[in-house]
Amino acid sequence: MSKKQVKKVDLGLRQFIKDLGYITGGAAMLGTMPWLQSFTPDKLNELKREKARIALIGTGSRGQYHIHNLLLMAHVEIVALCDIYPPNLEVAATLCPQAKKYTDYRKMMESPDIDGVVIATPLYWHAPMVLDALSAGKHVFCEKSMALTMEQCKAIYDTYQTTDKVLYFCMQRMFDEKYIKGIQMIHTGMIGDVVGARCHWFRNHDWRRPVPSPELEKQINWRLYRESSGGLMTELASHQLEVCNWVTRHIPQSVVGMGDIVNWKDGREVYDSVSLTYRYNSGVKITYESLISNKFNGMEDQILGNKGTMNLATGKYFLENDSTSGNSGIEQLLTQIGNKVFAAVPAAGSSWRPETKKEYKPHYIIEGDYNINDGLSMIGAVKDGSDEILSSFCQACITGDKGKDIVEEAYSATMLCLLGNQAMDEQRVIAFPEEYKIPYMHF
Amino acid sequence: MISCSSSYSDENSMFHGSLMHIMGTRFDMLLIGMNRDDAGQLWHSIEEELKRLHLMMNRFDPDSEISRINQHAIQHFVPVSEELWAILQDCRSYHQKTFGLFDITLKDLNKVSFNQEYRSLRFQQSDFSFDLGGYAKGYAMKRLVNLLKEHKVENCFVDFGNSAIFALGNHPYGDSWKVSIGNPYQDGAVLSEFSLKNRALSTSGNSPSYTGHIVNPLSGTFNIRRMLLCVECDDPIDAEVLSTTLMVADKSQKKEILDQFEDTHLKEFYL
Repeated sequence: MSKKQVKKVDLGLRQFIKDLGYITGGAAMLGTMPWLQSFTPDKLNELKREKARIALIGTGSRGQYHIHNLLLMAHVEIVALCDIYPPNLEVAATLCPQAKKYTDYRKMMESPDIDGVVIATPLYWHAPMVLDALSAGKHVFCEKSMALTMEQCKAIYDTYQTTDKVLYFCMQRMFDEKYIKGIQMIHTGMIGDVVGARCHWFRNHDWRRPVPSPELEKQINWRLYRESSGGLMTELASHQLEVCNWVTRHIPQSVVGMGDIVNWKDGREVYDSVSLTYRYNSGVKITYESLISNKFNGMEDQILGNKGTMNLATGKYFLENDSTSGNSGIEQLLTQIGNKVFAAVPAAGSSWRPETKKEYKPHYIIEGDYNINDGLSMIGAVKDGSDEILSSFCQACITGDKGKDIVEEAYSATMLCLLGNQAMDEQRVIAFPEEYKIPYMHF
Repeated sequence: MISCSSSYSDENSMFHGSLMHIMGTRFDMLLIGMNRDDAGQLWHSIEEELKRLHLMMNRFDPDSEISRINQHAIQHFVPVSEELWAILQDCRSYHQKTFGLFDITLKDLNKVSFNQEYRSLRFQQSDFSFDLGGYAKGYAMKRLVNLLKEHKVENCFVDFGNSAIFALGNHPYGDSWKVSIGNPYQDGAVLSEFSLKNRALSTSGNSPSYTGHIVNPLSGTFNIRRMLLCVECDDPIDAEVLSTTLMVADKSQKKEILDQFEDTHLKEFYL
């Protein structure tokens, strides 16, 4: 993603998807990522001057992050804002003064002037708000994870089967260029057969927000309490487990793990240290770790193949037998021409070939500049797909295009998070429950 | 597994297509002056052609035609497709012109029986197989150059693994394409520079990490000298065949071989 494109919200990814038409397998790739089919510059142009009328529920840091992105989209008009916490609502209102303010989301949904709602509230509010919004005839975009409990997730999934409304969950990696291209590379065999996955998210932060008054502790620090949060699993792991499902096109059959409060013994209820193993029927495993009292390892999504390793979060991949060691003459030539320089292309004595290596040479999924999420922000990273998926949702509010597979991916990932929590709580191997399997899932 | 990527720069009307793991290496092509759509379509044709040739000539792929021959030609005559037959006859011709130093059996091509009438062949002794390693990239390059010319491409740089190059027309900011040859035993040291215009360049040599990979089929010995050579000529197949063969030819053989190829330049470096 070039720096020049950063300010043009989502156009880089749209052009990238259009460009897939120029490569072999591009159309086939879109077939395996159907939610991207209509995410092209042409489709955006077809909207002409139509605008999706969007209301936001939840105007905290993440809600404001979305507002900033929405304000850059020509096909969007923010018409309403809702929050029960006045300071946040006031900040949001200064960003979009024309929007009507609400403190009761149900009241807001009675308005016929709203096409879609964006929900950026604590996890325990997701299910009631999503279901109420769909029931009110609104298109819905909701933050991840899908919901706090498996029952709620299933209720949302079942309701979605009966509605003609659009429903998105903010699984932004599905709209992140380096993930899209990297997973395309995996699916075309770049790293061979997938034999494992190692995902982790490490921070060194207490995960707390300042609380102006003690009675607001659970409202503001909702992430730390079990009645409102699934902890590290639903807040962080959900993205990474979704990626594993996307890569393998399968769902793990079982999970085992251990969770503890190791460092932040401050009255919180959710684990600050989790280690889990998810096992697919093939024997392939996802090793998942998250710790928020050491950030040395950062955040990574590593897909391990028998011919290479794709590190999707950092946008790099490494080959077991690298046939491209040495400086690429063609890359130097590209740079020369870009700089309008006529110089010699360096050639080698013998062809690049597989050879034994002591260190793996990184290759980049995307040429040129791109953004890496270091995983440290509690709000959201720059250009991590969040604005693209939101743009796609707003486009869908106008076209009615339901965004194939997004709900299913969110449902699957959230279920795995909740099963992981159950495995850690009960300290036993948990098999994926039959009653929560959906036709989309392959085991 | 072959993988592909491509990009287009509007500023220089420049299309870059790349294939990894094709014919044992990588392939890159820079097309200059074509619009995005035309370049994309042409790239698609080239990609398909390269994959087709890879499949035909890859002896490590059990489903390739060359593998089928290698598996069965010791037992009986094996019929050969028209294109591969023409390739094998071309290889026989190079075998003769190089006094047996270019040999796709790496042993003795004379011990293969060719039946012209039935377009079939058989190995006369066991432990025989074809290896088109010193020929395939040149052949693929020649096919691609013809394809480029059919599409009226004027300026293009084609690079097979950084060792087999064809330069069509010129660099967008120069009157040719310049290629420098680095010393594999000394980082950053340049041995020579070529200015190519509608010409092929092929290099062969040993390097610290890759030595003794070219065999003299007549003696069965491998060249392990610290040396590198470059062949520049019009025909990519000539360049590919000669760069490999001349690695194992002695001084008089080199002269006699080169005398048979017009407008061909050899540069040798002993390192």
